[in-house]
Amino acid sequence: MSNPDRIEKQRIADDLQEHVAEARNLAEKFGLSPYEVNYWVVDYDEMNELIAYGGFQHRYPHWRWGMQYDRQQKQGQYSGGKAFEIVNNDDPAHAFLQESNTLADQKAVITHVEAHSDFFANNDWFQLFAEGTPNAAAMLERHARAISEYMQDPEIERAAVEKWIDNVLTLEDNIDQHRPYQAISSVVDDPEELDPDDLADRLGDLELSEEVREEVFDEEWLDALEGDEPSATFPEEPQKDVIAFLRTHGKQYDDEAEKAVEMEPWQRDLLDMMREEAYYFAPQKMTKIMNEGWASIWESRMMTDEGFAGDDEFLNYADHMAAVLGSPGLNPYSLGKELWQYVENTTNRREVLDKLLRVEGITWRNLKDSVDFAQVRDLLQPPPALDSIDADSLEALAELPDEYLDNEALDRALAGEVDVATYPWKVLSYEGMCRRHYSLVRRPHRGFVGRVSQSELERIGRYLFDDQVYDTVEAAIDDVDYAAGWDRMREVRRSHNDVTFVDEFLSQEFIDENEYFTYEYSQATGQYRVASQDADDVKKKLLLQFTNFGKPTIAVYDGNYNNRNELLLGHEYNGVMLDVRQAKQTLERVFELWGRPVNLLTVVKEVSDHDREVARRRNREPEPAEQGRLIRYDGEKFEEQDVPWEDVEHLAADDVDYDTKPEDWLA
Amino acid sequence: MGLKDDLDRFREVGEQRREDLKEFIQYGELGRSGADEVKIPIKIVDLPSFEYDQRDQGGVGQGDADVGDPVGQPQPQPGEGEDGDPGEEGGEHEYYEMDPEEFAEELDEELGLDLEPKGKRVIEEKEGPFTDVTRSGPDSTLDFERMFKEGLKRKLSMDFDEEFLREVLKIDGWGPRKAFEWARGESLPVSMAWLDDAYDEIPRDERTKWESFEAVEENVDRETVTEKIRCEGIKHVPFRREDERYRHPEIIEEKEKNVVVVNIRDVSGSMREKKRELVERVFTPLDWYLTGKYDNAVFIYIAHDADAWEVERQEFFGIRSGGGTKISSAYELAAELLESYPFSEWNRYVFAAGDSENSSNDTEERVIPMMEQIPANLHAYVETQPTGTAINATHAEEVESHFGGSDDVAVAYVTGPEDVTDAIYTILSTEGDSDE
Repeated sequence: MSNPDRIEKQRIADDLQEHVAEARNLAEKFGLSPYEVNYWVVDYDEMNELIAYGGFQHRYPHWRWGMQYDRQQKQGQYSGGKAFEIVNNDDPAHAFLQESNTLADQKAVITHVEAHSDFFANNDWFQLFAEGTPNAAAMLERHARAISEYMQDPEIERAAVEKWIDNVLTLEDNIDQHRPYQAISSVVDDPEELDPDDLADRLGDLELSEEVREEVFDEEWLDALEGDEPSATFPEEPQKDVIAFLRTHGKQYDDEAEKAVEMEPWQRDLLDMMREEAYYFAPQKMTKIMNEGWASIWESRMMTDEGFAGDDEFLNYADHMAAVLGSPGLNPYSLGKELWQYVENTTNRREVLDKLLRVEGITWRNLKDSVDFAQVRDLLQPPPALDSIDADSLEALAELPDEYLDNEALDRALAGEVDVATYPWKVLSYEGMCRRHYSLVRRPHRGFVGRVSQSELERIGRYLFDDQVYDTVEAAIDDVDYAAGWDRMREVRRSHNDVTFVDEFLSQEFIDENEYFTYEYSQATGQYRVASQDADDVKKKLLLQFTNFGKPTIAVYDGNYNNRNELLLGHEYNGVMLDVRQAKQTLERVFELWGRPVNLLTVVKEVSDHDREVARRRNREPEPAEQGRLIRYDGEKFEEQDVPWEDVEHLAADDVDYDTKPEDWLA
Repeated sequence: MGLKDDLDRFREVGEQRREDLKEFIQYGELGRSGADEVKIPIKIVDLPSFEYDQRDQGGVGQGDADVGDPVGQPQPQPGEGEDGDPGEEGGEHEYYEMDPEEFAEELDEELGLDLEPKGKRVIEEKEGPFTDVTRSGPDSTLDFERMFKEGLKRKLSMDFDEEFLREVLKIDGWGPRKAFEWARGESLPVSMAWLDDAYDEIPRDERTKWESFEAVEENVDRETVTEKIRCEGIKHVPFRREDERYRHPEIIEEKEKNVVVVNIRDVSGSMREKKRELVERVFTPLDWYLTGKYDNAVFIYIAHDADAWEVERQEFFGIRSGGGTKISSAYELAAELLESYPFSEWNRYVFAAGDSENSSNDTEERVIPMMEQIPANLHAYVETQPTGTAINATHAEEVESHFGGSDDVAVAYVTGPEDVTDAIYTILSTEGDSDE
């Protein structure tokens, strides 16, 4: 880097120093507790490189980064070279700011990054890898160096290393992402090191929430570890971590010897490294909607609601947000943001209704008729002094209850030491912030309380004790906990992932508001068609896309299939069939990692031309026939054979149905 | 090592995609590509993984829609890779975008084809280099260099050594007449008038300065014109209007390689889903290929059952109708539409596809004579019969046995996607034979 460049970057960094520090203060005011973030100012080319490398400075040599770089550059030409946030999950986190961005963009990135960092630090799924301190940059650099060395080793062909990486990458999602990452050596080579009691202790140290612990580290799992002795048929339970299984029991196929031989040490090493990276990146893939939504919602609170974007920068920022959130299709930023907003609103509404239902004479049956929602809204309004803060209103602010104020900061503000025009939030406490930003009085959500359904009212009210606490609506509202929404959001942020998040918070109300629908492929018309607008259906489809990274679940069912050392993989069929052609291409790669014939047991759906024709004539969809199928690849050719239903019955889940086609779809 | 290296490797790896092209034609999603841009998923870049069947998976969209509305191509789904996101593991659907030219080259290489398109129609007024000249034109195109050279040449040929001639006039007893005769003998471009004038100017006493010519030669240096220009410079170059030349562009008679392709498809009741898809798989790459090979390609789409009608490309592969089949109806329409594209000016391809079912005697009595009458580089018939040959489906066979071995009629049989590239090869290589 030339000197003028360095000086320029330094100047930009200096200019941003205050914004970075204040963004952190503001984030903490909002109740966030992010990891420390190291910000780096980089130029356009460096930014493109970072993006290509998935946000890091060093990755192992691989054409895939080149492909991403190429694409990034091409996109840059169209998008005007603006690249936004890059932040690494690490403690401290690292984030990158592009020097050519406007100040408004830089601030948007910084506020967004602070919220991501909070998510990394507090979401339990991120604690499954290296107990939340991944040292990611160092790990990835170590891998980069090791793999470069293998490639330069005269004994090893570079192409062979690349091919091996490709082979493993096809399985990068075939890990057991709901379990904590453990290096293979500790699992396999030193069985005694994995003492279940020890592990239980270590799990205790992880400080995971009870929900996650129950879901992940159930007794069954610990028991399974205990009874983990070598046996004739293995694995005893289907193993989802296919990479680990291949790493432990796989061989390579030697073309010259025409048989399986032990893997080279570098091959095992590569499997270990790729697997470790897969586990490192898994939590981000599992929480994409949540994490992006979380970052977007706090970014917008800070930038817009707290005026972190200066007045002159606001338009610029609004444009940026419109572009990010408005991209077509189902966009993780907007879906996530909308769901978080929904969590906040429903929690706040529940709190308000809970109080209202304790007013004498108000029950869940008559609430909607007896309560004046406009009056409730007025009562919920923050005191004017809290709503707009400037140097002249500080006296009025000091009159407010202490719980809303950061008295120490207020004193300094009164002494002229705090710039309240720029940072009005500095004089408030967390409670004050909750009141100031209370969601139910904000313009877009004003009707939200009144729109509550009778069934929800019933749910809240039916089992309510102490329902005669307040004499008046005023008294009830006076007791409302304004922090309820944010407190709940942080709980959800701790324990959920995208699957549970969508499952719990996507409601019909939400679907209607945002006009979501499902679509399905119609065999009869040869087109995709809108299938349903029902919340349960939309949710089902979304869950299909988030569960297991949106991919079918494949597990090792037998490592000594037919007593011939063949590998048997099972596709845990949930009603949606595999892309069979791609599955076969993947099997070719798996063969390289197993060294011996590989088998895949799956269920396919077939529609005959005749049935399709009949269905078309009757304006209906044909009913596909489900058929068990075994696909075997021996290194040269595929064999496919239909197997009786009994052979695949154990793979098929009968309690799920992702099909959202209506009965009279085409009529 | 480093990103530059990765980029180079990516380009190399991308190059290895060739084997992919066949597979793409046979099994790939053709619908993602437009008429001018072929999007080919790159096999090696698009590393395989265990995934759901896209059609069976369905999806979620956003917008105002009613149940049953078609949604077109699936909308992008979450998890399909937002750009520039932290830790995002790269594109899962990567396309290599080719323009049709590149596609045609690749296919040539892949299938070992060498179709050389013939230039036909003359498009005029194509301006070549400014090498032609004319006597008039705008000032800016005046060829000054040429004019200067002409002027110089003229000066050279007209100029003479004036000083020496003046001395010659001073020879005792010579005078203008004698001097003129001498100059003539020397081929000096001097006029009698000039000599008369010069003689008049010579003072009387000097008119007898020299005794003889020899004395002049001895005492006065003669100077050639070139020497004179060299030491005095050109004072004046006589430009003449007749030397003016204006450059203008050469008119090159460019022959455009243009092609009209007629795609005919049987849309009758018997053409079910699989047959229909196979036709698309054969026709679409053929269209791309010919678009890539020719400068200008026009496509005509004709759908037919017992009657034929012209349709737009977007509708072409989707249409279904009931009714019987009369293939000659399509050829009649083709002949009519092709009148706007005379064979003397256009390369013509007439491709038809169907399941070989036809009404009785139509093939022999009408279609084959029409095929003979419509002049074209190539006629082709593609039979798509996923279940093998049906009893009455003999159109392809009849055409083949009639034209067998001809270099402008091709017949190809497709029973499944795996036959598609062979069919394309059969069709495109048939014409290649004709020039040899």
